[in-house]
Amino acid sequence: MTAQRALVVAADMLTPYGAGADALWTGLLSGRTAISGVTRFSTQAFQSSSAGCVDGLSYHQGESLALQMLRRLFSRTQGAIPTNASLLLATTKGEIDILEQAVLTGGNDPAESGLGRLARKTADLAGLTGEVLVLSAACASASAATARAAAMVRSGRSDCVLVAACDGVTEFVYAGFSSLMALDPHGARPFDRGRKGLTVGEAAAYALIMSEDRARREGRPVLGEIAGWGMSDDANHMTGPSRTSEGLVLAIKKALQSAGAAGEEIGCISAHGTGTVYNDAMEMGAFRAVFGPQPLPIYSVKGGIGHTMGAAGLVEIITALRALAEATVPPTVNLREPDHDAEGWVSSVAHPLVGKRAALVTNAGFSGINTAVIVRAEARG
Amino acid sequence: MIEVGGIGWVTAREHGCAARGERTGSDDDGSLDRFFRDGLFAYPFKNHGRLDRASRLTAVGVALALRDAGLSYSAEEKQNIGIIGTSDEGSLASDLLYFKDYAECGRTLSRANLFIYTLPSSALGEAAIHFGLQGPLLYLTAERASLQAALETAEEMLELGEAEAMLAGAVNGQEALYFFLTRAGAGQPNRLGSAREARQKAAKGRTLGDVIQQFQRRQKGES
Repeated sequence: MTAQRALVVAADMLTPYGAGADALWTGLLSGRTAISGVTRFSTQAFQSSSAGCVDGLSYHQGESLALQMLRRLFSRTQGAIPTNASLLLATTKGEIDILEQAVLTGGNDPAESGLGRLARKTADLAGLTGEVLVLSAACASASAATARAAAMVRSGRSDCVLVAACDGVTEFVYAGFSSLMALDPHGARPFDRGRKGLTVGEAAAYALIMSEDRARREGRPVLGEIAGWGMSDDANHMTGPSRTSEGLVLAIKKALQSAGAAGEEIGCISAHGTGTVYNDAMEMGAFRAVFGPQPLPIYSVKGGIGHTMGAAGLVEIITALRALAEATVPPTVNLREPDHDAEGWVSSVAHPLVGKRAALVTNAGFSGINTAVIVRAEARG
Repeated sequence: MIEVGGIGWVTAREHGCAARGERTGSDDDGSLDRFFRDGLFAYPFKNHGRLDRASRLTAVGVALALRDAGLSYSAEEKQNIGIIGTSDEGSLASDLLYFKDYAECGRTLSRANLFIYTLPSSALGEAAIHFGLQGPLLYLTAERASLQAALETAEEMLELGEAEAMLAGAVNGQEALYFFLTRAGAGQPNRLGSAREARQKAAKGRTLGDVIQQFQRRQKGES
């Protein structure tokens, strides 16, 4: 059997910029951050008081944050998702606000916060009847799930996979990152010389990934291809990235090999770019090790929307496809003065992307997990 | 073809290695402490006292599977071996421990050493660090048959060349079961059949304990 190309035929997102990929794209290009003060719980005891929150969500009242976001997202699909698609749900903490309520008020069964239960609810919202899996790889969950979806298509295991991803800004997560001293009191400033940490954000997104045969048969519009992927682990530290960058280097090399691509084919990099001192330095080390000293345009969306954790990879893959379609490298919002190792690579303004059809998306997470995904635009004409 | 090079398991009553035909009764108090004291690991497991239960079970299951496969390992000389794990409850126990502690402290101070185990992938991360596993790391759970899904995903990764070898397994309650998988001809002796056969065999068990019994029977020649 011939290996099938894995094509993205539909995608959507809900982020702190609003509903849709357009809202995120316009927000990034405006240079305006969607990070603002947290109002849903007290941040008085924490290192920061800001987050990237989606407007109009209720907290500890009715449905979980994740389910509200997914419900809003899937109300916009307009029949784009076939009922027989397999579902891969990517998340780190899913409906953890249910457990929060159980502990704080005793009103819920904490087991209701289980990831499998959210996956079933997601399948019901999307109207799916096929295989349902939850994938969790810390803050690389969504890119890992997208890679697995593409692998399922490439290997012939499935011809249509829906990747859904979500995580909410909860007190549970916020307090945890604060205890790790990982939050920037001024809002995330990826690759900036003065960066001090990340900002927690929330989002939900989906991408429908289909074999080329089925996409053609159904006359689907093609947003791009998940051309290659690589996963690795630093095997070094539970919360800190490897200072040698070797894990991410391995993941990027695997992704290039998987895509049958040379480094020269990559037009820009959507970096994980959390804004923590160590993550951004680790990524720059990996980019220089793989691509050499000649700067390649990189950007991070996290100065705009914060770190959306289990949803981050998918938001960023969809945005990278948009960057290729628009032939534009978006700016890194909140960047004031690039760190010395990122000078010439990262910019606070948008740049044209000329003559390139591929982008690299990198993500990393606790336990030293690294993912690298290469997306390719379809040839024009 | 993807082959099974080793299988290791631990239950409240015993632990074992399928290919080596080992079954050892346990007088463990449930803490699994003796595995961390008595030489199961090739070198001391750093910070094992802080590990949550899922991490301890995963570490023991992986150590037994690697021993069964005859594979040496080192935290310093890392290998492109991946790990996929599943469990019924994910990180629920650690989530409760962390958040109750936070609530009891007046919602002003949370403990980072509890927070790090609130990801279902954390147990796999501890194993990756100790055993030097630099391949893909992923937690998954399915509506039905999570262990089979983990095995199938590991097979797929090997077929697509994403890792040199994979560990795939499950942890539930006081039990852990891990498989070591390689591509045929990768230098590991094939003593336990194909991964597909293992997956089919695993499907016969309703609980992880049932599945473990499937592989215990095999080595006694009962199946």
